[in-house]
Order: sequence, then C-alpha cells, then structure tokens
Amino acid sequence: MGNVLGPAAPRAPRRGEPLGSPGSFDELHRQCKEVFPQQMEGVKLIINKTLSSHFQVTHTVHMSTLGPSSYRFNATFVGDRQLSPTEAFPTLVGDMDNSGSLNAQVLHLLAERLRIKAVFQTHQAKFVTWQFDGEYRGDDCTATLTLGNPDLLGESVILVAHFLQSITSRLVLGGEMVYHRRPGEEGAILTLAGKYTAQKWVATLNVGYGGAHASYYHRANEQVQVGVELEANTRLQDTTFAFGYQLNLPQANMVFRGEPGAAGATRQPWRWPDPHCAPHPTPAGLLDSNWSVGGVLEKKLPPLPVTLALGAFLNHWKNRFHCGFSVIVG
Amino acid sequence: MAAAAAPAAAGGQASGSAGLRGWLRSAYRFATDRNDFRRNLLVNLGLFAAGVWVARNLTDIDLMAPQPVP
Repeated sequence: MGNVLGPAAPRAPRRGEPLGSPGSFDELHRQCKEVFPQQMEGVKLIINKTLSSHFQVTHTVHMSTLGPSSYRFNATFVGDRQLSPTEAFPTLVGDMDNSGSLNAQVLHLLAERLRIKAVFQTHQAKFVTWQFDGEYRGDDCTATLTLGNPDLLGESVILVAHFLQSITSRLVLGGEMVYHRRPGEEGAILTLAGKYTAQKWVATLNVGYGGAHASYYHRANEQVQVGVELEANTRLQDTTFAFGYQLNLPQANMVFRGEPGAAGATRQPWRWPDPHCAPHPTPAGLLDSNWSVGGVLEKKLPPLPVTLALGAFLNHWKNRFHCGFSVIVG
Repeated sequence: MAAAAAPAAAGGQASGSAGLRGWLRSAYRFATDRNDFRRNLLVNLGLFAAGVWVARNLTDIDLMAPQPVP
C-alpha cells in the first residue's frame, strides 16, 4: 500500500513558460496599422523583377492627379543569413526618384542578438536624414538606441532609447526616451508603452507627456480583421480616431501578404519585402474623425503575375474626393 | 416672518433653476465647441470604445456562407 503519510517523491523542477521576444518598439502598433488602406490617387504601375535569390529591382511609374508625376527605382540586396521568412541579413535597400532624391537603408546582424541599421535620406543633393540604430534582442526583452541626425559641428543630435520587457507570455511593458539637443535648447520626453496580446486580439497603448496612442486589433475570423486607433497630441492640441477593416477572400484570389509565421512552424522560404504594395488583401475600408471614408480593393489576376488595386477616398468635411488605381507586375 | 420666507424661497428656486440652466448651457457649449481639446478627446474616446465594441461583437461574419433561400 505504501506510506501515504510519507514524503512525496520529489517533482521535477517546473520549466518556466517561455515569454517570447517582445519585438521592436516601432512595431507595437503594426498589426493595427496594417489593416488600414493606404491612400491612392492617380495611376501607378509597379514592376518587380527578381534577378537572383539575392537581388531584386522595382520600377514604379506614378501618374499623379495632385502633384507632379514621378518615376522611382528601387534595388534590394539580401544576404545569406535568414532568421525568418521576412528577415535576412545583411539587407541593403536603395530607392531613388527622378529628381535625384535618395532613400537608403542598411541592416546587418553583428551578432546573434545584436543588429544595426543605418538610414540615409536626401532631398535631391541635400542630406535630410542620417540615422543609426543599434538593437539588442534578448529572449524576453528588446533594447534599442537610435542616433538621429548627429551633427558634431552644429552640436545637435536626437537620441532615442527604447526598452521592451515581456512580463508574461501575453503582456509586454516598456518605454521610450527621446532626447534632442540644439544650440540654445535641449529637452527630453518620456513615453510609457504596454501591449497585451490575446488569442484573437491585440491592444496597445503608448502614453507620455506629448500625448497618447491607443490601438486595438481584432481578428474576427479567417476573413475579417478590424483595427481601431486613437491618437491624442497635447502639443498640437489635436485628437484623431480611425476605424478600419479588412476582408480576406483567398477563394477569390485575394491573398493576404505579410502574415507572421506561428512559433515553431517549419522553416519557410524567404519572401521579398514589397516596398510599394500594402501588405493587405482587399477589400479594406477606413472611417476616421476627419470625416474621411475610403476603401481599397486588390485582386490578383491569375494566371498572369499581376495584381490590380483600386482605391477611393472621400473627405466629407473638406468636400474632397480622389481615387486611383495601380497595377503591380511580379 | 412667513411673508419674508416666501420670497426668499421663490428667489432660491429661481437661483437654483438659473444655476441648472447655466450648467446646461455651459454643457451644451462644451459639447458643441469643436475647437476644445478636452471635448474632442472625450468624443474620440467614446468613438474608440464604440469601435472596440463593434470589433468584438459585430464582425464575426462568414463572407462565403451561402445566400439564404427565400
């Protein structure tokens, strides 16, 4: 029968539930933002050409109804180190338009948990932005330091520090500190951030001296996703609200792009990031507090490697309407 | 004494109703002032809450379900 009053057999130590990496601070509101359609006007032709497994080029011709028309050339190079279907290192991206304005990014993995990024933007021949990031990704935390437009001669700099910590497998808390300095003035702003991830929804909140930003993302089912956003800026004394939805119909060749893989999924082939096409299938709709309503419809046209996108936006208050369509090849 | 109390009570009621009217007037001005930051924040907070409620309760739609037979 055994000794029921005796000491129980020692249990194996319980392994803590893995908390998971909280990701990057800039991507806290990403899932909600991806639901909203991008404004479209005029006619856009986008041609993607993959030259090899490492190199892709994109030509974009935009015939605009609101401003001058433009042509953009984009080249992307990715290296051999692939961490996920959407992350490969090193990555070099260059984008130039017909006026000579350049947008360039370099991303590199220095070590297993350390990655760096450099961003340069020019307006024709003049440098507008030069920015350097360093990010450490731990098992349950992320720390980032960004140096924006450092100018030793002009004694000006913008310093941004982010930190995110996974408290539980669903709750992430963190903060951001922005410090800026120019001759004669300097200042700092602190913002606190929190994100709660449930099975079907994600709620995120940033609160600081400069204002607040709240977002709610809800995946109702395989077809319907909804995003709700609220932004309040105390400096500009302005608040905005936006409601967006997205309908996904794969049976009708409306395929969702950019969906993150599940933890533990088998390794998937790396996919080229699309610099121009919003990663949401159509239709998608928007309603916001500026009295604007809009929608975008995207449809693949098999067997051709072509996607057609139609968009229209109406601002009732300002009585403005604009629509556009784009054709994406490749 | 009773004669002095009646006008005082009537005056109190009048000031009370004037106070209520004044409160209602200021509440109406607050609710319709589009340039007031706090008012806009409250309105947008309410819209945000309504949007979250809609997202959680009204979006479970099956788009590929067959049409109902009349």
